[in-house]
Amino acid sequence: MKFITIAEWEFKETLKSKKFLIIFCLQISMLFLMIFVFNAFAVNIQSDKGVSITPSLSGFASLDIDDQGHLFTKYINPSLINVQSSDYNNSLQNLNNGEITGFVQVPSDSLNSIRNIDTINVKLYLDYNDPKRSVIRDEVNSTVNIMATAISNSWINSLIPQNTTQIAVNQQSTGQSLQIQILTNAMLAILLFLPLFFFGNMIIDSVVGEKERKTGEILMAMPISPSQIILGKILAVEGVIAIQIAFWMIILFIMGFKFADPILIYILVIITALPILGVTTIISAYSKNYKEAGIGITISYIGVVGVLIIPALTYLSIKSLASNISPMTMVMRIFSGETIPFWQYFIPIVFIFLVTILTYWISIKLFERDDIFFGPRPRLIRLFLELIRFKKNVK
Amino acid sequence: MKILTLAKKESQDILSNKIYLLVIFVQLFIVLGAFGLAIISSIATDPTLLDTYGITSHLNVGISDDLKGSPLDQDLKAQNFNIIYYNNSDKALKLLGSGLVAMVGISPDGEINVQIDNSNVFYPVISQKIDTAVNEFELTKKLESAGLNQSEIQTIQNPVTLTVIKVNSNNTAPIALDSSYFVEVMYGFIVPFVLLLPFFMASNIVTDSVVGERERKTFEVLLMTPLSSSTVMIGKILPILFFSILQSMAWILLLDLLKVPIYNPIILFFILLFVGLGFIGVGIIISMLVDSTKEANSAITLALVFATFILFVPLFIKAPLFEGILNFLPTVLIVKLASTPIVGSEIILSSIPTIILSAGIFLLAIRYFRHERAIRL
Repeated sequence: MKFITIAEWEFKETLKSKKFLIIFCLQISMLFLMIFVFNAFAVNIQSDKGVSITPSLSGFASLDIDDQGHLFTKYINPSLINVQSSDYNNSLQNLNNGEITGFVQVPSDSLNSIRNIDTINVKLYLDYNDPKRSVIRDEVNSTVNIMATAISNSWINSLIPQNTTQIAVNQQSTGQSLQIQILTNAMLAILLFLPLFFFGNMIIDSVVGEKERKTGEILMAMPISPSQIILGKILAVEGVIAIQIAFWMIILFIMGFKFADPILIYILVIITALPILGVTTIISAYSKNYKEAGIGITISYIGVVGVLIIPALTYLSIKSLASNISPMTMVMRIFSGETIPFWQYFIPIVFIFLVTILTYWISIKLFERDDIFFGPRPRLIRLFLELIRFKKNVK
Repeated sequence: MKILTLAKKESQDILSNKIYLLVIFVQLFIVLGAFGLAIISSIATDPTLLDTYGITSHLNVGISDDLKGSPLDQDLKAQNFNIIYYNNSDKALKLLGSGLVAMVGISPDGEINVQIDNSNVFYPVISQKIDTAVNEFELTKKLESAGLNQSEIQTIQNPVTLTVIKVNSNNTAPIALDSSYFVEVMYGFIVPFVLLLPFFMASNIVTDSVVGERERKTFEVLLMTPLSSSTVMIGKILPILFFSILQSMAWILLLDLLKVPIYNPIILFFILLFVGLGFIGVGIIISMLVDSTKEANSAITLALVFATFILFVPLFIKAPLFEGILNFLPTVLIVKLASTPIVGSEIILSSIPTIILSAGIFLLAIRYFRHERAIRL
């Protein structure tokens, strides 16, 4: 049980470090920023206008309108488009000068056309030299549709007696909207799994640091096995992660986020840290210096994020059993209040267990090799062949 | 000349570093990936593009046998759905979400029942198309029952016609996908993101270069040369700034090749130059505050997360209170400059705060560097 002594020592050293506490607090402040963004999207998604994941820049494109009857102007949505009233000559000049992207001309006798039940011909002059033309075209199209519906309804009300039989239409939607699932379940799950990727630097410091500070020789000379050293170092970081996740969950809870089964979610998140730490330890054990380890971890974490997120997002559209391999899928299902058969919890747990065993075994094998620790370091292909016992290991 | 010698040495360091070259390829992958994602998501959310690419014809809508050949059946076919007729509504309901994206039936008392799978990726388009078909059917029935003739029904159904008149069609701007969603996402987010990406890397190279020299104990030698502190720092950052700008310009060319034309490249160049100085300034300040590469990496990551938040989140959030300030953000300036063929003088004035702030951060960093002399023995 020597690894517990190492873990205890590393854990205390980490918590004593002022720089660690500053980074810890900055990470918490980052969580607040993310909650702010999350809430802004949530407000958007719950609004009548529906989901918008496009940028909301005001004045992205400009449109001149000649609409004396104010028929068109009252229906246009000016959130993305800079709208201004103008006349035909000025607007065409503006259009040719590239000052605007489009110009809408509503006939001056449009109110008479409505009274006489005549079609109104709206003209849109569109600058094809401007790539934003489609933004103007779609906005004008949608405004024309709204305007047409309003005019149609007013004509129908004046032409058709109120007691005319109407067809009843009953429209229902089944299942939870994909956007709401992504926002409420997937994004919340991502937020909880995020801290797992913040602590790669601690493992690098703990393993590569021994090489860079030349303290590795002393450590290796101590009466303790490499496996105990690795386990001790990982356990210390796992402890810090457990504290961080607990903090994040408490903050999310205080900020109004509700979890169906917080303890189960907490356990799933912190056990997911184990294989991630295993991957980080492999890279740290092999790397010569901080820089090499940093790049290696950045690249490998892209893969780890993919393994976590892709099955979770796939599950939103295809409810396949294989998607449960990612613990994030399971957490997302818990968030959505789904009834999950007990045996299905074993899918991510077994996956985590197998990857943990494999990565810890590889990192211990790497750590106990003198050529990797002190150099000259063997090439990755040779190392792989040696690990699978294809080539004889030369220590 | 002394600056150039130092700059040459730094350039060689950058070019011989495999990791930096790898990061350039990662950026290329990000640019192409972001472009591809924008294309796919634009097609998925645009009914016209879904029809153009023949995706709608693969969306199965179940219709009750009672409605076969009815005007509603015709209206739904006009929306290009693949219609599947069913005689057992319970069986059809079980297929909703797997084999069917929607089902339309009629109850014994004549009520039209529509059920749509909300979790389908194409739900917004399916819902919009079914709404159009049902509304058209409903309106036609209503007008027919009121005794109106076909010509009157046609007028009431289409009270407004829209004629699009092309201006400057001889000089049409090439665009990969003529869709509003694509244009908004590309110019409103991806273009500023891609053009600023090299500067995020630049701040990392700065910390690596300054802190790395300190860790290797070579900074003392460098500072002992007959060069002033400012000359040392400018000689160090010059190649980093040059490579970052070069990458941004390369991404502009790549986007042009991908048919996302980037306008006003010269003004963009100057804005990026100053933004680059700001990012590099932040990198220098961080380098002065930390003791090791490891600390520098953690600090720069956090600084860049905050920079991302400040620069990019306002692009997606409506904040009328801050609208005046947001127009001065470099990202907003990049959006407007990159997407507008002819810009007015007000946009040049809007860039003044960015220039002042970036130059201020950089000068502060140089002053701080001179004061600290980079080494704390």
